[in-house]
Amino acid sequence: MLSIVFFSASVNQLLRCASHMLRKKLPFLHSLLSPVSRHVGHLTGHQYDVIVVGGGHAGTEAAAAAARVGAETLLITQKIHTIGALSCNPSLGGVGKGQLVKEVDALDGLCGRAGDWAGIHFSILNRRKGPAVWGPRAQLDRQRYRDFIQSELLSTPRLTMVEGSVEELLVTEPNPEEPGHHRVTGIRLANGSHAISARSVVLTTGTFLSGSLFVGQTTSPGGRIGDAPSSAGLSHTLRERLGLRTGRLRTGTPPRIVKDSVDLSLAKLHLPDSHPTPFSFLNTHTHCKPEEQLPCYLTFTTPGVERVVRESLQLNCHIQQDTKGPRYCPSIESRVLRFPGRSHQVWLEPEGVTSDLLYPQGLSMTMPPDIQLRLIREIPPMRRAEIHTPGYGVQYDFVCPTQLSPALQVKSTQGLFLAGQINGTTGYEEAAAQGLWAGANAARSALSMPTVTLSRTESYIGVLIDDLVSRGVTEPYRMFTSRAEFRTSLRPDNADLRLTPKGRCFEEVGCVSSVRYQESLRVRNSLQDALTALQALFLSTSSWKKKLPSVPISETKSTLLTGLDLLQYNDVTFEMLASAFPESLSSFMEFAQRLKIEAVYKPHCDLNKKEIERIQREENMSLPQDIDYFSLPVSLSDEVREILDRVRPSTLGAATRLEGITPAAVVNLLNYVRVTEKKKETHRNQRQQEAQRDEELCANSASLPQ
Amino acid sequence: MAGFTQRLPPPRTALLRSITDPRSTEVLDRGLVLWFPAPRSFSGEDSVEFHIHGGPAVVTAVLQALGSVPGLRPAEAGEFTRRAFQAGKLGLTEVEGLGDLIHAETEAQRRQALRQMSGELGRLYQDWSDRLKRCLAHVEAFIDFSEDELIEDGVLNRVDVSVSDLQAEIERHLKDERRGERLRSGVQVVIAGATNAGKSSLLNKLCQRPAAIVSPIAGTTRDVVETALDLGGFPVLLSDTAGLRDSSDLVEREGVRRARERVEQADLTLVVVDSAHLPSEVDRAAAFLREHLRSVLPDTDRCLLVLNKADLLPEKQRQKLDTELRGVSGLPAVRLISCQTNEGLKAFLTVLHSSVKTLCGDPLFGAPTLTQARHRAHLQRCAAALAQYQRYRDTDLALAAEGVRLAVTSLGRITGRVGAEEILDIIFKDFCIGK
Repeated sequence: MLSIVFFSASVNQLLRCASHMLRKKLPFLHSLLSPVSRHVGHLTGHQYDVIVVGGGHAGTEAAAAAARVGAETLLITQKIHTIGALSCNPSLGGVGKGQLVKEVDALDGLCGRAGDWAGIHFSILNRRKGPAVWGPRAQLDRQRYRDFIQSELLSTPRLTMVEGSVEELLVTEPNPEEPGHHRVTGIRLANGSHAISARSVVLTTGTFLSGSLFVGQTTSPGGRIGDAPSSAGLSHTLRERLGLRTGRLRTGTPPRIVKDSVDLSLAKLHLPDSHPTPFSFLNTHTHCKPEEQLPCYLTFTTPGVERVVRESLQLNCHIQQDTKGPRYCPSIESRVLRFPGRSHQVWLEPEGVTSDLLYPQGLSMTMPPDIQLRLIREIPPMRRAEIHTPGYGVQYDFVCPTQLSPALQVKSTQGLFLAGQINGTTGYEEAAAQGLWAGANAARSALSMPTVTLSRTESYIGVLIDDLVSRGVTEPYRMFTSRAEFRTSLRPDNADLRLTPKGRCFEEVGCVSSVRYQESLRVRNSLQDALTALQALFLSTSSWKKKLPSVPISETKSTLLTGLDLLQYNDVTFEMLASAFPESLSSFMEFAQRLKIEAVYKPHCDLNKKEIERIQREENMSLPQDIDYFSLPVSLSDEVREILDRVRPSTLGAATRLEGITPAAVVNLLNYVRVTEKKKETHRNQRQQEAQRDEELCANSASLPQ
Repeated sequence: MAGFTQRLPPPRTALLRSITDPRSTEVLDRGLVLWFPAPRSFSGEDSVEFHIHGGPAVVTAVLQALGSVPGLRPAEAGEFTRRAFQAGKLGLTEVEGLGDLIHAETEAQRRQALRQMSGELGRLYQDWSDRLKRCLAHVEAFIDFSEDELIEDGVLNRVDVSVSDLQAEIERHLKDERRGERLRSGVQVVIAGATNAGKSSLLNKLCQRPAAIVSPIAGTTRDVVETALDLGGFPVLLSDTAGLRDSSDLVEREGVRRARERVEQADLTLVVVDSAHLPSEVDRAAAFLREHLRSVLPDTDRCLLVLNKADLLPEKQRQKLDTELRGVSGLPAVRLISCQTNEGLKAFLTVLHSSVKTLCGDPLFGAPTLTQARHRAHLQRCAAALAQYQRYRDTDLALAAEGVRLAVTSLGRITGRVGAEEILDIIFKDFCIGK
């Protein structure tokens, strides 16, 4: 069943459609929205399993994942037609971020397949630095991306979309036995008193939570230009009713440039990969043909740019604020102020196949529009450029994510999940990853299944969530490969092997479709068979030399080598081995690149295993959430107690990674966990023994002569 | 404690008290009693020290009396230190240094242990660790940002230099020829030479007691005779061995085999020669000694040549040999002595002391040496991990960076920054002390 619900202040209109769309052929969306009138009252009183607030990268993944898990799901967004909009850069993936896209795809999320559909310029970054840190990336056609996401959501069973603004989050009164603990019961929409109840609510409000927009010296409430600001009611509920700690972050976006006004011959041409690599494990090729891809252009700032920034500082109130902005994607103002006298890169990126705009990556700015024009005209290819939409800055509230569990649920409020920028992250990929995980858990929680967590030892999603909930953020959080301790095991190429079975096998219901699950099994079995076949090729070095004359094999060692050993050589490819041993290997040609990577990384991954097991052991030692760290009868310094009390790590593993936690403190906590677990165990045993004794007594008394 | 000494002394003040058994009120000893109220004590808890007389009867009686007090039990091996560590009173290298201090049998060991506790070794490792972290940061930056941002091209080249410098330093540190470990377990000094040269007499002279049987009969010593001694503060394990000669006696042949085995394992060999057998001409004497050394030792790097029975030589020849043999190339340090008259013995002891000192490394000067086999293992892993960086530097930067990461983790295992549970298990297994 598919449904879409529209209602606005003037007309409450329900659009309902049932269609079976072909994934490969996107129909023109608006033709689907054949209106079916229905009063909004139908929603009132309706009990949903999951309500997702927000239709960005986090919200769409959350809604889709919740529905896949089996929950009746409602997605509420301010404008249906901006669902799946790329608010900032027209690109997806990159170093670290590409890994997240692959993982979201492995869990059957949307963004990987959307990227393959909408991509118009594919490249693997870090190509020469090793497959573990390859960064799959694509420039996107904005329109195609949005169309794909919307049509996917429309064809998702159990998912309803509605247009509206959430006024209030409905929660129960605090539980008298656990002060400060609430349970979510639903939401109330603005412009009416419609309360819609749900067992779980996922908030993905992006930059809209108390958001303000900045251009020059003017400030206006809002989260994105062209959209109405979200109601203050939501912030109020989070802060005042639930007592959640919030902080403030800022971000920004560059002006969009009219393509025809730019002299691209003065910029450096940057071509995409000649063979585009799809993000999704289900796709063998991208929608865009290799030869239809569009180029990007590289240019540089000049001393004139720095001059304009300096001259306009007093007119730029965003830059004067001390709110924390990202160090990794800074505005042009902070770039030239932090590194003066240098020339900074500016990428001119296409916005789409039919778009007549360019996106100047690296020129995020918040000065008044006339000065923005002066600034870009200091850059040679843009001497005569025209601005279509000026750049602007956004400041917004985020909820300190240490108040969340590793399932992204607010610890003090049963059923409330948060994902995306509201947790202090930046980036589409980070948002999508959290959205998927929060959505899956919101659904599980609503369906009375235990929530699930991903370890940082098995995925970048696990790294992202663990970093957020156990360390918190001080600036917008972005993923890097260096954040993953087990980077050589968490590669983009093996995300399906790592996550797809897990996404499928969480008890009876998972977030992975059976099509994808079957495909991942096929891949896993084929790879295993191929590795076995390679290991079965067991030859002396001289025989290998005869088989592969072009490879410099040292004959000094008289040892036998397997095909797997040979594949670890720099200059040996799987193709070479397959042509030498066609009978045993040629059937695996489809996996040639993956096998090469597996062979090279296998020894390193084997070494990682032991450390991974240790961390997983520590992660399995949970620390009670209601622990009073200040009165805990173990030897801990006041500073350590303060940190633990503030962060409340959910496991010993998370505590170990906190800054300021000494090894001695970890040992003491470990002892505490062990002692309390032992006590619990003894207590259980005692109770069992008592029960046994009681039973024996009963048995004895039964046998007593009456 | 009140039961033992009637009244609590003021904190941290040593007082002479009668120590009585609380059950029988019998006076067990008179000794010093010290009270350290928490948290200003070694382990951070309330502590008492009894300084009692060392006779086994007294010690046993006091321990039994303590054991009879409800709630008291003997500490497990390493428990005090573990508690001190848990109370945040000690860092990991300090804990290990303290273990050595408690085991310290000699003055030099005590000095090295003290030095480690004050964190000198910790500081060296910390410096390496800081430099490695910097290398890692640069490689990571190159991996995560170089495609988007302008990362200077020279970054990796500078990492290359740092990594190979660090690798060289760590390998040099590892090649300290076991000095630190020697200081903990004693320098192996072996006395070897032909039969009847006076090897056993030398052993007895050095340990100042008749540890070995001495007789004019060649082949008296048939097995290895070992004795531990303190040589100017350094622990020495001195072995006397059977005289080297071909023999038809099965027992003696086994003794000779063991002697040769000892010589191979020795840190320092004292080759004893009967001076009466030396040719009188200096050149020929030198040739004779060179030939003789070759029959005893594979190389002459670590040996001293002891010409015994100097009292049997005419005064003139003695002086000539003493002065002229010193500068001859191809010979180790040569000393003329007489175990009979003690002539030259003092000068020989000076040479021996300085050799032992070099082998141990003076704990107060120079680079801190390895005192724990555990450190050695982690440092070896660290150096191997840096080699991994070099191996993959040009083909796979992710695997190269993994090398630096492993190196950082390995060092962290010494300085106690990573993997707390695992390290503690290992340390406290190694760490059999009871304070």
